[in-house]
Amino acid sequence: MTSLAKDKPQPPTGATGRPLLRIRDLRVTYGDSVNALHGVDLDVPDGAIVAVLGNNGAGKSTLLRAISGTLALEGGRISGGSVEYDGNDITGNDPARIVRGGLVQVPEGRRIFAELTVDENLRAGGLATRDKVAKAEARERVFELFPRLQERTGQKGGLLSGGEQQMLAIGRALMSRPRLLLLDEPSLGLAPKVVEQIATIIGEINRQGTVVVLVEQNAAMALRIADEAVVLETGRVALSGRAADLAGSDEVRHRYLGIATTDDPEGTAPAAPAAGGSGLTKAPAADAEAAGPTSLPAGTRRAAAQRLSVQDVTVRFGGITALQDVSFTVEPGTTHAVIGPNGAGKSTCLNVLTGVYRATSGTVRYGDTELGGLRPHRIAQLGVARTFQNLALSAEATVERNLLVGRHRLTKAGMIATGLSLPSARRELAEQRARVREVAALVGLENDLDRLVHVLPYGTRKRVELARALCAEPDVLLLDEPVAGMNAGESAAMSQAIADLRGALGLTIVLVEHDMPFVMGLAESVTVLDFGRCIADGTPADIQRDPAVLQAYLGTVAAEEELSHDDDAGDPQP
Amino acid sequence: MTEFIELTINGFSLGAIYALIAIGFVLVFKATGVVNFAHGSVLLLGAYVTARTQEDLGFWVALVVGAAVAGAGAALIDVLLMRRVRAVDAGTLAILTLGIDIVLATELTRRIGPDIFPSGAPWGSEVVRMGDYVIPETRVAAAGIAIVILTAFYTAFRFTDWGIAMRAAAADGRTAALMGVRLNRVAAGAWALAGAIAAVAGVFFTSFPAPGVDNATGLSALAAIPAAVIGGLDSLFGALVGGIMVGLVATYCAGYQDELSFLGRGLGEIAPYTVMLIVLLIRPAGLFGSRGVTRV
Repeated sequence: MTSLAKDKPQPPTGATGRPLLRIRDLRVTYGDSVNALHGVDLDVPDGAIVAVLGNNGAGKSTLLRAISGTLALEGGRISGGSVEYDGNDITGNDPARIVRGGLVQVPEGRRIFAELTVDENLRAGGLATRDKVAKAEARERVFELFPRLQERTGQKGGLLSGGEQQMLAIGRALMSRPRLLLLDEPSLGLAPKVVEQIATIIGEINRQGTVVVLVEQNAAMALRIADEAVVLETGRVALSGRAADLAGSDEVRHRYLGIATTDDPEGTAPAAPAAGGSGLTKAPAADAEAAGPTSLPAGTRRAAAQRLSVQDVTVRFGGITALQDVSFTVEPGTTHAVIGPNGAGKSTCLNVLTGVYRATSGTVRYGDTELGGLRPHRIAQLGVARTFQNLALSAEATVERNLLVGRHRLTKAGMIATGLSLPSARRELAEQRARVREVAALVGLENDLDRLVHVLPYGTRKRVELARALCAEPDVLLLDEPVAGMNAGESAAMSQAIADLRGALGLTIVLVEHDMPFVMGLAESVTVLDFGRCIADGTPADIQRDPAVLQAYLGTVAAEEELSHDDDAGDPQP
Repeated sequence: MTEFIELTINGFSLGAIYALIAIGFVLVFKATGVVNFAHGSVLLLGAYVTARTQEDLGFWVALVVGAAVAGAGAALIDVLLMRRVRAVDAGTLAILTLGIDIVLATELTRRIGPDIFPSGAPWGSEVVRMGDYVIPETRVAAAGIAIVILTAFYTAFRFTDWGIAMRAAAADGRTAALMGVRLNRVAAGAWALAGAIAAVAGVFFTSFPAPGVDNATGLSALAAIPAAVIGGLDSLFGALVGGIMVGLVATYCAGYQDELSFLGRGLGEIAPYTVMLIVLLIRPAGLFGSRGVTRV
């Protein structure tokens, strides 16, 4: 807390002056049927950082889209209420006009233009500004905040690391010199060390005079740098107040910070308003727990997994070595985690296991079968299923359809039988639907089967991914960042659901994850990768004590200093 | 050998014209996601206006007027028709452009009737001699102007704010909107530019050795569709390569018609489509098209 405490005077809560942004009774619907916001009120005082917290699907992104005028592009519309910015009603205005008024949004997931260079990305951000001098000044300021970007102006945006892409996304927004900056989940998918950096920079941007609305899953970070905060729940404001008060409230501590991770000694004041707290949408945990081992559907068979062993695997792309001599063994029925900083080679590792990438050298054996030369669909037929880090679902199809895809390897009816809708195919489809329903119940999706994937919030889509993998009735389940983008409560719920499934089905699980508490709570053995090499292998307890791991993954004090020093030096890139 | 080199030079020149048309095709596709089947009749509109006004205005002014009318016409299609239904899926929009093409082409064909209007281009049947090789002047002019337009276009696309807005909108329209890019304006601009460039290409199609604008001119532009598809519908560089491939193949087939007579006559007309099919069998997204594959 201390290192990030802001040294500017705190604006008084409920300032007497007119707030810069004033939202009243805002209602939003998607596609005429789904109500995303049911009357949200929000005041953003001049000079402040206001955090917007809430579970997946609470309406945080929708709120930002409604403010920035981009709802229509996502198929939504404002059905009531008003958004007032700087004294003017901007409800439903064209986004281009809103940007020119100095209100700019950084979208969720960074969304930098991957094929454009860093320089061109920044120029794109400045397109709304006519004044050449102002543009040059804005660029100077961006480079002061992010010296990294200056070193990489000619590089394509898509080649930057996740943290650098987030810097570019923020820098791009600053190019139009906003008075009000909306940030949608800037910490998503970033390593803890990088999140700290981003938090410091957001504080600095605010100190330089830009008002910030910060939507975050990482409530600990958001509440630390914010002056005020609101908590959204299913499209309504559930709690609001000073950030410090909220950070101290039991409600928030429990739901969003995860008790174990709370390290804020100052926030002690109890939260005054706890209205609606009990009506919180609790994601998968309760359902999965209840539906877990006891009420398993009759037809469910236990997995018959075999040992999965990776021997000296090396993967090269062109001149880059993504994995070098990596070895580990996963015993049947256990959970093995592969962890490491961004770019360590974790996803590459999963991609080798599923046959998406081919190892340059080394072997991968599943039981007695060598997986090395097999195509992905052959490996899937062996009973290896996976989920994807960047969701790979059919957005325009229903959840049920997506899950039926997972049943593909267990579906016998061919193209002709299905096309002609022969009785055998119809009967099989009915059976498959029944199985899908059972699997959906296991992960708490039974009420979402008929919904289209693109209307579902991110966290629910993650569960659809998990359910689809389970639909294949795998023996081995590979999970690529199953809790990325989830808050502590949801992450714990997912952890519980996976643990239950493992117990009930006897699955072997290989998981790749950033979230350390999640990994340590679930895995029996852990492999740590850094720059494509295996730097540690052992039980979670061993790993947590390993100095090399602390250095690489958690970042020691020395590493932090070195990093910031790097930035200051600003070595010119050759 | 001399014949081969002459055919190659001719093919390149013809290919440059196809590339101009194909680039318009790709430009509209990138900016709005629409496969624009009305491109051929927009080309015909430009060529027709140039041919009808060149006697009064002189060729060069008429060319500018033709390009302006075709550009404005294309922009109008976007603003009046496409913009209203932008949200529906790309297939529906493509069918809508087919309808527009039929209406526009029918009207122009009615106006042209059985007449042939000369384009009035200053280059005629003269030839340029380069050493041993004899090249028709019209081919040299076509290649020269195409290279100038393509270079100007590339420079603008690469370095100007307009180009960056265009590329940002093409890459991710929703995010570009957050930067203050006016997507409707970018779309209308793409249509207008595509139409204007098509008009210039159309004038070359109707200059020597063609007698002028007649009611079949719109069809000749169709060969630019395989050019765009070969290159990959979303790649401007691909449109250039695809255009030149189509130009070369068509010219070789016409030039070596006698040697290839066992394949039947009129091979030059179907050859571009044959090349397209072969390319698509090997690379379903075209030579340079993005394959829609994302990292998992």
